[in-house]
Amino acid sequence: MNLIRNYLKPVLKLIVFAIVFNQISCTPQKPENLITLASNGKIESLDPAQANKLLAIQLISTLGDTLYRIDSNGSLEPRLARGKPILSSDGLTISIPLREDVLFHDGTHFDSEAMAFSIKRFQEIGTLNYIINDRILQIDTPEKYLLKIKLSRPSSSINGLLTSINLTPISPSFYSKYKDKFLNNNIVATGPYKLSHFSPERISIKPFDNYWDQKSNNFGINYISFNTSTSLFSAIKTGQVDILLSNSIEDGHRLILNKLSQEGILNEGKGPAMQIGYIAFRTNSELLKEKKIRQALSYSIDRELISNQVSYGQREPLRSLIPPILQINSTSQWPKFQPDIAKNLFKEAGYCNGEILTIPLTFRSNVPSDKLLALTWQEQIKRDLSDCLKISLNGVESTTVYKQLSDGIYDAVILEWTGDYPDPYSYLSPLLDCKQIKNNVCKEGEAVIGGTFWGDLELQDSLDKSELLTGEERLNELRKVESIAAKGLPIIPIWNLNPRAWTQPNLNEPEFDGSGRLRLDKISNNHEQI
Amino acid sequence: MEAGDYVLIKSAIIMNRSRSLLKYSITRLALAPIMLWLISSLVFLLLRVAPGDPVDAILGNRADSAAREALRIKLGLNKPLILQYLNYINNLIHGDLGQSLNNQESVSKLIAKTLPASIELGIAAIVIALLIGLAVAFIGIAKPEGKTDLAGRLFGIGTYALPPFWIAMLIQILFSVILGWLPIGGRLSPNLIAPQGSGFLVLDSIKNGNFIILASSLRHLLLPACTLGLLLSGIFSRSLRVNFEKIMNTNYIQAAESRGIKRNKIIFYHALPNALLPVLTIAGLTIASLIGGALLIEVTFSWPGLALGLQEAINQRDYPMVQGIVVVVSSLVVSISLFVDILIASIDPRIKY
Repeated sequence: MNLIRNYLKPVLKLIVFAIVFNQISCTPQKPENLITLASNGKIESLDPAQANKLLAIQLISTLGDTLYRIDSNGSLEPRLARGKPILSSDGLTISIPLREDVLFHDGTHFDSEAMAFSIKRFQEIGTLNYIINDRILQIDTPEKYLLKIKLSRPSSSINGLLTSINLTPISPSFYSKYKDKFLNNNIVATGPYKLSHFSPERISIKPFDNYWDQKSNNFGINYISFNTSTSLFSAIKTGQVDILLSNSIEDGHRLILNKLSQEGILNEGKGPAMQIGYIAFRTNSELLKEKKIRQALSYSIDRELISNQVSYGQREPLRSLIPPILQINSTSQWPKFQPDIAKNLFKEAGYCNGEILTIPLTFRSNVPSDKLLALTWQEQIKRDLSDCLKISLNGVESTTVYKQLSDGIYDAVILEWTGDYPDPYSYLSPLLDCKQIKNNVCKEGEAVIGGTFWGDLELQDSLDKSELLTGEERLNELRKVESIAAKGLPIIPIWNLNPRAWTQPNLNEPEFDGSGRLRLDKISNNHEQI
Repeated sequence: MEAGDYVLIKSAIIMNRSRSLLKYSITRLALAPIMLWLISSLVFLLLRVAPGDPVDAILGNRADSAAREALRIKLGLNKPLILQYLNYINNLIHGDLGQSLNNQESVSKLIAKTLPASIELGIAAIVIALLIGLAVAFIGIAKPEGKTDLAGRLFGIGTYALPPFWIAMLIQILFSVILGWLPIGGRLSPNLIAPQGSGFLVLDSIKNGNFIILASSLRHLLLPACTLGLLLSGIFSRSLRVNFEKIMNTNYIQAAESRGIKRNKIIFYHALPNALLPVLTIAGLTIASLIGGALLIEVTFSWPGLALGLQEAINQRDYPMVQGIVVVVSSLVVSISLFVDILIASIDPRIKY
C-alpha cells in the first residue's frame, strides 16, 4: 500500500502536469488573429534604400507605396503620383504631380519634400543606387505637391524606374537621424500596413488606419522564415502557416502544391514572371567565338524537355530576353529546338565527322535548378547530338561565379536575371550594353560583367536610341535590339519562372501585381469580416 | 613515521600540486589570446583568399565597374589588405567586432541576438545526449556482454554514423508532419512575441512567469534538441562503456575485488569516477563546438542560431560577420576547454602538468 502511495502521487502529478502543459502548448495562440506568411530567407533590413532581395522587396511593397506601380496588365498605374509623369520637350525634366491625401505611418504628411528626401537618400546610401545615379541630376520641389526630376540624359525607361521599391518614400522627420545610414529594423512609409514587430524570428505588420487608398482585407500578417523547401512545404500542408510564397520552393514541391490546389485543398495564385534563366556564352573564347557554333548550340537545346524534366513544366520555356508581361515582340526571336539544323551547323564548323566539340558548361552549385538544367541538357545532347557535341559540367558556388564572370573564365554559364525595375530596358541593357566595341568583342561594359564579351554597334545604337524615344518608336528600337541579339547569340534564354503563392482554403486566392509581388492586402479570411 | 609527519608530507604534496596547477592554469590562460589571435588572423586571410567578395554577393552579375568600385570603397574593401588587417586586429583588441557589410549593423549586436538561441539548443542537446548516452552505457555496464550491452554498442555506433540532415528530416516529418505533435521549426509560435530579456526564451519566460511562452518555446526546442541529443548520445555511451571496460581490467579494481569489496561499491566508488573523466572532457568540448557547429540541425529546424548566421554570412561574404562569429565561437571553445582541462587536472591526481 505504501509503495503504491509513494509512487502513485508523483506519477499522478506528472500526468496532471503533462495534460496542463499539452493544453497550454497545443492551444492555438492567435490572440491577434493575424495571418501567418512563410517563405525562405531572413529579412535583415526593411530600409527601402537597402532592399535588394526579393523577400525584403515583397514586404516593403506592403509597408510603403511607390509613385507608380505596374498593374496586372503591365501598364503604369499612378499610386502616390496624381497622374502619369510629364516629360519636358527636351526629355530632360520629368514633372510628377503628387497626391495630397497621403499620410506616413507616423502621422506626418507626404509631399514633394518627402519624396525628394527619399530619392536623395537612396542616391546617397542606397545599395543599388547605381540604377539612378547616372540618370538623375537634380530633384526639385517647386510646389508642395509637385516633384521635378532633372535627368542627365533623356531616359524613357525612367518611368519603369519610378516603380522601384528602392524609391519608396519614407517619413523625413522619422528618418532625420538616418539620412546617411540605414534603419534596418523599422520603416515609416505610407503603405496599407505599418510595422508592428521586427525580430529575427518574426515580422508583424498591421493595417494602417489612415491609409489613403482601399484598406487591407485582413487584420495583419506575421512573416516567418523556414530554411528548407521541405519545411515550407510541410508547414503549409499541415496548416502551420496560412500563406506560402514560392521563393526557394523546389520544383517537386511546387508540383505537389499545384496538384493540391487543383484538388481544392489549397488556393494557388500565380504572378507574372520577372525572372529569366539563360545561358551566357563567352563569345571571345576559342570554342565559342565562331557564330556558327553558338547558333548550333542555340538550335540544340530542347527547352520543353528541360522544363518538363527539371520543373515538371512549372517553368515556362522562353525564347526572349524579356519576360512575357513586358513583352515587346509578338513572336519569339531565339531559334527553336531543331537538332537537324544544329547538326548541319556543327558539320559546317568542322565537327560531327569523328570530331566532337566539348563545351564546358558551368552552373551555380548552390542553385538546384541550374544543376538539373545542366544535367538534363547534357543528357539531351547525348540523345540527339552525341556524335557532334559533348557537354562537360562544372559546378561553382554563385558568388565565385559572379566574381569570375568578367575574368572570362567560363565558356558557357547558366545564370538568371531579374530586372531592377519592370521595363524591357532593365533586361536588355544589363545583359547586352557595351561601352567599347571592337569587331563584335566588348572591351568594357555590362557585357563584360555578364561574361559574354559581346557587343554590336548597331545594337548599341538602337539601345541608346530607345532611351530617347517613347511609344511605338521606342518599342521598335527595343525589338531591333532583341532581334540583333538573337542573331548574335551571346545569350540563349531558357525559361522564366512565375512567382506563386498558396493559401489555406479558408483564405481567398492570392493575387499578384504586375511586378510579381503578392498583394497581401487582398488576402482575406472567407469567414471573417474586417 | 609519526602521524604528524604524514600530515606534513601530505600538505606539502597538496601545496606543491596547487602551485603546479596554478602555474599550469596561468600558462594556459596566457596561451589563449595567442590561440585566438592565430585563429582570427587565419580566418581573416582565408576569407580574402576565397574567390568573390561582398560586392559580388550583393550585386551578383549586376552593375558596371564604376558602381561596383563605389560600393567597394563604401564597404572599405579598397584599402590595402595589411591596413584592413591592422584595423581589424586593433578593433578586436578593443572588443569591437566591426559592422556587418550587409546591413551596417554592429556585429556584436547581431551575434548577441543569435547566440542565446544556439546556447539554449546546445545545452538542451547536451543534457539529452548525456541522459540517453549515460543510460545506454549504464545498461551495458550492468549486464556486460549481454544482449542489451550489444544493442547499446550498436546504438552508440549507429547514432554516431547517422547523417544528421537525414535523421533530422525524418524526425521532422514523423513528429511534425505525420503525427503533427510538434512544430516544424522556429523558436516560438508566430503569434507570440518573445519577452524582452537575455534572449534565452526558456529562462526569460520562467523569469517573467509567462507559461504560454515557456510552453511554446519548449515545444519548439524539443525536436531539434532531441535530434541533436540523440546524434551526440552515441559518443557518450561509447566513451563511458569503453573506458569503464578498460578500468574494470586494471590492477586496482582487481585488487579491490580480491579484497571482497562488493561489485556495486567497486563500480560506483572506484571505477565510475575514473571512467567519467573522459566523458566530462567530451561534454565540455562538444557543447563549445555545438554553439557554432549545429548547422544542419539549425537549417532543418529553421533554428535562428549562430551556425545559421555563419552560413548566411559566408554565402554573402560578410567578412566582419564571419570573423566575429568565428572569434566568438573560438573564444567559447578555448574558454570551455581551458575550464575543463583545469577542472580535470585538479580532480585527477594522475595528471601531471
